[in-house]
Amino acid sequence: MNPSSATAPNTNEYAGDEISAIVLDPGYSSTRAGFAGEDIPKSVIPSYYGIAPTASGSSQYLFGENSIHNPLPNLEIKNPWSSDGIVEDWDTATKLWEYAITSRLTGQRPTDPTKNGLNDGTNGEGNGQMDVDMDGLDDAEKPLAESPLLMTEPGLSSAKAREKYIEIAMEDWGTPAFYLGKTGVLAAFASGKASGIVIDIGASTTTVTPIVDGLVLKKGVQKSPLAGNYMSNQLRLIFAQSQPPVPLTPHFMVASKSPVDAGAPAQAIYKKFEVPPTASFRRFEEERVLTEFKESVVETWTGPNRLSVPGTEESLKNAPGRPFEMPDGYNQLFSAERFKVAEGLFDASSALHDPDNPRPKDEQTIPRMVQAAIHHIDVDLRPIILGNVIITGGASLTYRIMDRINAELSQMFPAPRIRLIAPGNTIERKYAAWIGGSILASLGSFHQLWISKKEYEEHGPSIIDKRIK
Amino acid sequence: MATRRDIQDIIGLPGGGDTPAPKKRAKTAGPQKKLHGVNREVAALYGERPPPVAVYEEKKTYRAKRANLGPVRPWIQQPFTNPARTDGLVLKHWRRKPTARPNIENGGDTAMEDADNQSPQLETDYEYARFNVDVSVPSYTDEEYEAHLRSNEWSREETDYLLELAKDFYLRWPVIHDRYEFQSAKAEPADDAASAGDSILENPTDALSTLPYNSSLPRDPRSIEDLKARYYFVWETTLKLHRPPEAMESSEFELLEVLHSYNPDSEHVRKRIALALMSRPLDEVKEEEFLLAELQRINIAANRLDAERAELRERLEAPTPQRDLGPAGPLGNFQSSQALTALFQQLFQQDRSKKRASGSGRLSLSAGDIIGTPTAAQQAAYNAAAGSRKASMAHPPPPQPQLRALSAAEERRYGVSNHDRLTSGVSFGSDKLVKMRQAKSGVQTQKIAAVLAQLGFGDIITIPTARVGAAFEGLVAKVGKLLDLRKVREKEENEVKVLDGMRAKRAGEDPAATGSAPPQHGRDSTETQERDMKQEERDESLMEQSIADSTVGAETTYAEDGEGGDDAEGEEDDAEGEEDADGETNATSTRQVSEAVSTRAATTPAASVKAGHKRSASVLSAGSTRSRASTKRARK
Repeated sequence: MNPSSATAPNTNEYAGDEISAIVLDPGYSSTRAGFAGEDIPKSVIPSYYGIAPTASGSSQYLFGENSIHNPLPNLEIKNPWSSDGIVEDWDTATKLWEYAITSRLTGQRPTDPTKNGLNDGTNGEGNGQMDVDMDGLDDAEKPLAESPLLMTEPGLSSAKAREKYIEIAMEDWGTPAFYLGKTGVLAAFASGKASGIVIDIGASTTTVTPIVDGLVLKKGVQKSPLAGNYMSNQLRLIFAQSQPPVPLTPHFMVASKSPVDAGAPAQAIYKKFEVPPTASFRRFEEERVLTEFKESVVETWTGPNRLSVPGTEESLKNAPGRPFEMPDGYNQLFSAERFKVAEGLFDASSALHDPDNPRPKDEQTIPRMVQAAIHHIDVDLRPIILGNVIITGGASLTYRIMDRINAELSQMFPAPRIRLIAPGNTIERKYAAWIGGSILASLGSFHQLWISKKEYEEHGPSIIDKRIK
Repeated sequence: MATRRDIQDIIGLPGGGDTPAPKKRAKTAGPQKKLHGVNREVAALYGERPPPVAVYEEKKTYRAKRANLGPVRPWIQQPFTNPARTDGLVLKHWRRKPTARPNIENGGDTAMEDADNQSPQLETDYEYARFNVDVSVPSYTDEEYEAHLRSNEWSREETDYLLELAKDFYLRWPVIHDRYEFQSAKAEPADDAASAGDSILENPTDALSTLPYNSSLPRDPRSIEDLKARYYFVWETTLKLHRPPEAMESSEFELLEVLHSYNPDSEHVRKRIALALMSRPLDEVKEEEFLLAELQRINIAANRLDAERAELRERLEAPTPQRDLGPAGPLGNFQSSQALTALFQQLFQQDRSKKRASGSGRLSLSAGDIIGTPTAAQQAAYNAAAGSRKASMAHPPPPQPQLRALSAAEERRYGVSNHDRLTSGVSFGSDKLVKMRQAKSGVQTQKIAAVLAQLGFGDIITIPTARVGAAFEGLVAKVGKLLDLRKVREKEENEVKVLDGMRAKRAGEDPAATGSAPPQHGRDSTETQERDMKQEERDESLMEQSIADSTVGAETTYAEDGEGGDDAEGEEDDAEGEEDADGETNATSTRQVSEAVSTRAATTPAASVKAGHKRSASVLSAGSTRSRASTKRARK
């Protein structure tokens, strides 16, 4: 058959060999899981989870998009990650990740194919195939007994965290083989690059990871809290500081609304709750509105001069704004404000701040982080690295953020050629690390790198530092 | 089986068995053949006529036949082990079930069931295991280390650690340098010992393991160049220990040379320069781009000028001036093969840049510009610097194999010939001969033809061998020169005539006016002209000398060149005999100059020029004698 763009390449051409491995890419905002070799994760769930007291006094965990937005009484919304992008609550994280895998991929309790009745032949009495050894049965009870697991970790995880990952995978889930990939490296693989610098603008953190031949240069990894959540906080500050303040009402509180003029107070009928929802639930629901605002209104300022230059902001006041309507019907045109949200990512001095939200440090801005990362790279490699600037992460979908990054980097490094690489597809941008993991775990030449259960049993959790450097 | 007709017969109906079939046929073959794939309304527009464009019914025409691949071949989850792994991990991938036993017909369903329930065979030869490549790092024993590899700056432990990292990271030096965190209290170099010691005290070793990856460990003082230098030194030494350089194969020895020539200091310098280049401000980059464009423009102009000059020089074919340069003169520079290679590179580069000048130039900096390898210059510097180390090597590198130069006789013997690059396809020697007769202008071609006819050459040369061709080429070149000379001579005779006329005129007027020094005055006025003439005459005499030289060169002995010079002088006299009639004042000086030049030309071993002459002359002696005769005749 003639090869064409429509037909998939032969697996031998790219050493593809799928072993039904599962790729799990946990993040602060969402957790992605799916089978290796597929092009998008089948299971994407929010990393936030709900915890509600039950009648018997114990607490019930709620996972998944469908269950956590229901305003149950005393429902608390939490996140197992700490705000600096490191897993804090390992027990819940394990449950959450297990949910991500079992809810869509493996099913709750996979039965052995010889026993599930589907394979019973005409002489269904069985001919001696049923006696499964008991060791195998033990493992078979665990959710991942059938599938090797590839997990992702942030570029800066500690040795302890790495050991925890393999412990969970081996002990709790009983996976036959395990591997831990760095998000930066995998995101670069998703773009088909083995060397480059990955700017990952996520929810809780922005990471800059220099990569050479598929290996992270650890000394160059930079991390800062200026990311999606920071932008949300900026937005809250903008709403609070504007005159009059912009009210922020989440969807669940509104029963019905009627149209009002721009800037006029909302006329809506609000729902009544016997037990008012918790603050964490309300905040979580407010975040959804803010996300919508960020997606539809916020734009990155691209010049000609900086937003902090006096006069620039005033000139924007006259420019036509962009309308946004809150769930309760309040609506307003936003002109200069929409540029200020993301400005702090690039220019710390123009970030809004109050006692709760301190002004970010200069070296936490994206250009300064790239500069610091490049500083750690050998001079010979810098042109190659700067020719492959890979941008991923959900917050990198902010309108025109690429233009801004390009302008900042070109100004900082005039001599070498700078090329930004960012998939145009939203899904590929958000789930780049998962896609890279999916590619990696479906390669035949990769299968020699798995850490097997046997190796884990011989060496213990410390094997992860020996095998995956 | 009972057909309809049978039934009709049985029932007793009138047998109309034949009629329905033709009716049907008529219906289907009717003119209202329905067109598929066309709207009813559009089809109605056609009317009775067939459509103007043949309408193919896609369904009927192009549907590919479903390939019959035999019975369904099931897929199974085939377990496999990877030979690249040591732990025997069994993974499963989907594979076609291997075809079951051939006697499926006999076995029937039960056989299939058996095959289904059997657990699939474990596959042990994994096709992608061949991608498991490993780097080999040098190894050494304790004795070897003690004897050859000891260093003040590197401990045994640290060297081992370096080799281990090199193996782990496949010699990717940026990564090795990034992960290099050697911790040894006594191995810390003195300058860093204080700070390192402090931080170690603060962080006990058990706490170190819990620190994050890039915890602020004491900054290691080893640069990437230091690591490379140590590694290359270890590699080089072990290579030499395992096999002495004399016994090495050329590839191994080249590797050794490369390893030996690594110079960390020059790498440092290079990287500093590269860094400076990278961290220029924007306006400097712009300025450089502008300057590069300007340089390119200048180069193009210069190249054009050079090409024009070269063409002119070729036309006149004056030997290159070789003042005050002995055997190590311009040509002496190029006697070694290395120098010749360099010259070739230079010429090649010029040629390329000329070509590139027409296309778009590359102005920006790219990765290739910065990443470099140790060059010959660096090697030389390193050799000088590391003299002591070289002395300890005690293994002089073997002499470079010399290219043997063949003498003319040997060339003939072995049938070696040097020629221009051949074009593809067949070319005829006679074509070449014909081409030689052609000049750029038709007039010139006619003149050449006339001279050749005068010399008695026919239009066709019967056997155009390579030697005949070369001889003919030489002859034609000389004819060209002869024609040039004639032209110059005519011009100058005219000028001299005019000047003579002027002088005669002035001589008629002047004596009365000044009376003191008429010749001097006349000399002043014509000085520039005369100088020009001298120059021309000298060129002329050189030409003649070279022609004469070739004549004498028929005997092809070095010593006879002097005679050739004499001969040329003799001829010079002949030529000047004619000139004497023109200007008596400058005749003697001209002669001196021309004599000087001709003798110098004769005594200086201008190897290449002479060789060329000799070769052509050996064949051409008769022809060129004749051509000389014709030259003289032409002059007279």
